[in-house]
Amino acid sequence: MRNAARQTLRGWGFTAPALLWTLAFFIVPFLVMGAMSLATLDGRTLVWGIRFDNYAELAGKAYLWRAVVISVEITLTVTIVSVLLAYPLAWIIAFRVPQRWQRLALLLAILPFWTSYVVRSYAWLLVLAREGVVNQTLMGLGITSEPITIANTRFATVTGFVHFFVMLLTLTIYANLIQLSPNYRRAAMDLGANAFQTFVHVVLPLTLPGIITGAFLTFVLCIGDYVTPQILGGNTELTVPQVIMVQLGRRADFPLAAALAIVLMGIVTLAYLACARWLRLDRL
Amino acid sequence: MTRLAPWLYFAAAYCFIYLPVGALVLFSFQEGGLPVPPFKGPSLKWYAQVLGDDDLMDALLNSVVVAIGSGAGAVGLGFLAAYGLARHTLPGSVVLRGLLIAPLTVSYLIVGLGLLIVINRLGLGLSLWTAGIGHVVINLPLCFAIIYASMGAQQQNAERAARDLGAGEAQVVLLVTAPMLMPAILAAFFLSVTLSWDEFIIAFLLTRFDVTLPVEIWSLLRSGLSPALNAIGSFVFLISVMIVLALELLVFGRRRA
Amino acid sequence: MTAPVTFNGVSHWFGAFHALKNISLEIGEGEYVTLLGPSGCGKTTLLSVLGGFIEPTEGQVLIGGRDLTHVPPAKRPTTTVFQDYALFPHMSLRDNVAFGLRMAGVGRQERRARADEQLALVGLADAAGKRPHELSGGQRQRVALARALAVRPDVLLLDEPLGALDLKLRRAMQDELKDIQRKVGTTFVHVTHDQEEAMAIADRIVVMNAGRVEDEGAPARIYRKPATLFAAGFMGEMNRIPARASGTGVETPFGPVDITPPAEGALVLCLRPEAVKHANGTVLIGPATVRDAAFFGTHCRVHVVPQAAPDLTIVAHLPPDRVPAAGETLALTAEIDAISVFLAG
Repeated sequence: MRNAARQTLRGWGFTAPALLWTLAFFIVPFLVMGAMSLATLDGRTLVWGIRFDNYAELAGKAYLWRAVVISVEITLTVTIVSVLLAYPLAWIIAFRVPQRWQRLALLLAILPFWTSYVVRSYAWLLVLAREGVVNQTLMGLGITSEPITIANTRFATVTGFVHFFVMLLTLTIYANLIQLSPNYRRAAMDLGANAFQTFVHVVLPLTLPGIITGAFLTFVLCIGDYVTPQILGGNTELTVPQVIMVQLGRRADFPLAAALAIVLMGIVTLAYLACARWLRLDRL
Repeated sequence: MTRLAPWLYFAAAYCFIYLPVGALVLFSFQEGGLPVPPFKGPSLKWYAQVLGDDDLMDALLNSVVVAIGSGAGAVGLGFLAAYGLARHTLPGSVVLRGLLIAPLTVSYLIVGLGLLIVINRLGLGLSLWTAGIGHVVINLPLCFAIIYASMGAQQQNAERAARDLGAGEAQVVLLVTAPMLMPAILAAFFLSVTLSWDEFIIAFLLTRFDVTLPVEIWSLLRSGLSPALNAIGSFVFLISVMIVLALELLVFGRRRA
Repeated sequence: MTAPVTFNGVSHWFGAFHALKNISLEIGEGEYVTLLGPSGCGKTTLLSVLGGFIEPTEGQVLIGGRDLTHVPPAKRPTTTVFQDYALFPHMSLRDNVAFGLRMAGVGRQERRARADEQLALVGLADAAGKRPHELSGGQRQRVALARALAVRPDVLLLDEPLGALDLKLRRAMQDELKDIQRKVGTTFVHVTHDQEEAMAIADRIVVMNAGRVEDEGAPARIYRKPATLFAAGFMGEMNRIPARASGTGVETPFGPVDITPPAEGALVLCLRPEAVKHANGTVLIGPATVRDAAFFGTHCRVHVVPQAAPDLTIVAHLPPDRVPAAGETLALTAEIDAISVFLAG
């Protein structure tokens, strides 16, 4: 009995540093942020309390709730487009590229993933800018006579995001595809299914949990990102993270920023509930 | 045609994936003052300028220090917690695991914002230390998860054997568990270093005078397109790729062999 | 519903590895054939060639007289029971069994009825709505069988179908497989590395090694009179006794045996343990010392050292009525019909 107690104590000894760290630097700040979202600003002084002024302001001011709508729209677009583009690529790497080249193909497909986050958005700006590669190519080919505006639009934001998440999703979907026993596909073909039927009836349903997990991850990372919309979308339409940064910077309105952060978490929670049935976060 | 279609898609996908990186690297060698077509050069002058820029080089050094420091911290804490939870029965261990993993499910922006609010309230200053603390918070769950997942029965038997032969718990951990888990520990460390090295928003919120490289690059971005940004961007990409290749060769290569 | 199969000079290379070496084989209509051999002998490759999953480098595959060498699996009158069963985990058993019919465009009502009929055949009529993960290994095996039979193939291929089951269940499933084959009359080609399994179910066994057919025929014939030393060794335990050809007979450590030698020079004489008897045998082994003995119910397994050949240890299965003591001397003989002789090497 005493031995067991000593064992448990030792277990705590090993686990405590990480737990305390998470508690002190994650849980506590998070709770303080929650409390902050219920506080108000009186001029420049902070007044603690339990008031829902910030949330009321959020619902009342168009530029605030528009940001929520824009964030959700962009994120959903990015998630869907990324899955639709990444799945065929992962499929080709898994089932068309010869086995010995698969690892290399995959490594190459995700190598630009490791460009610095800020630099990657900047690189897209190079491509999409008024004087950039795309416009110069289009004019050089005589397709357009005037440069078209691509940068500082929602299209640019979505393109930058999709680029990032196609790489991430190719990796996760590929991992799902190759862990399927090849006998599933053989069995389907053996029983008379053609390539399309095999895909629709067997491969797709079996990889659905993996796809949804990847899509959820995309959703979470995309909706909380500040860098890509700020660099590529500019200030034409602001997303929630951009509005949060505006509150922190110019106006030092921490309570409103905290309320926006809580709303962001609420949206992620809703997304989680929507696909909880299929999520396998432990498999990540 | 149907045989060719997958390969056309394959080629198009790689073009899309490499388009921005290609433009970035190509125009880092631009002779002129704008990183847009037509390409003139090649020239290394922007690399010379970037490498001679003290602010950038300081930021680069800061990034290395923060990445390695926070990586080591996250791996150390993660390893101890994984050992404690895998090898000892603790009450509510499911909840404890959930608590350790929790920061993974929250946007970096929110992690940074929470810390910023607390630091402001306590009246503490922002520094590389605060950014490092934030990076440990976001990397600790990954390190814990990776190392915990690799603590299998095979190691446990070796640990029992060592204990049977008279080793104390500290000796077991140092001489048996840690070496056996080295691939997982290295993978977790390299992943943490890469993520910290690239991380922007937490570093942006939690640093002030000494900043990390992504934050320094961000401030340069305000002045618009410049081949100097291409040069520093390409340089950072090169370093990241080398870390990834080292991980691939050292950790996964060895595991496959 | 059933058809004969012909392999005509089939060879296959995986890169530099020569997996199948010029195999020609006839399988009769409605026959139950097992391909038996150690892992890597090419038996699964041969089955894959028959199922259409591998196009052989050379040679032809005929099913029912038609050359189907280059026809894909979907268009062949063959179906496969896979080693891991490959049941679709997201479908009910009924949907699994009906899958082939659905692909063939059979209407919902009919394929449902036929799937239920197939499930009844394998004794799982009540479980039609369940998912594969709810079943035991033996039940999954039956569903895989039902699914493969539902499209009424001419030839059913079974790739180590019992390999994942424990020994007791495996023996029970063998009888069931044989029973079902008799009911449906389809040609069954069954790959296994377990010679007892092969003997239990097959009408005919094809013994393979290193990409070649070593022997083919009825189980009893292969066991008693194997065509090669490999086939002899693979079909069950045996004693290898060094011997030499001498004129028209064979010279052994116990004396001459009256068997026609296959060639001049060093030979190996193969003797099954159960062919060793106390007395009345046609070949004299002579007095032998018991090293140890163990009781097995149906027989006693005894290690003996013949006094005529003190370097040799022979395994003998003797009657179980008395367990000999270690050190005891027994007078032993053997049946000449149970002895085969091969060239050493």
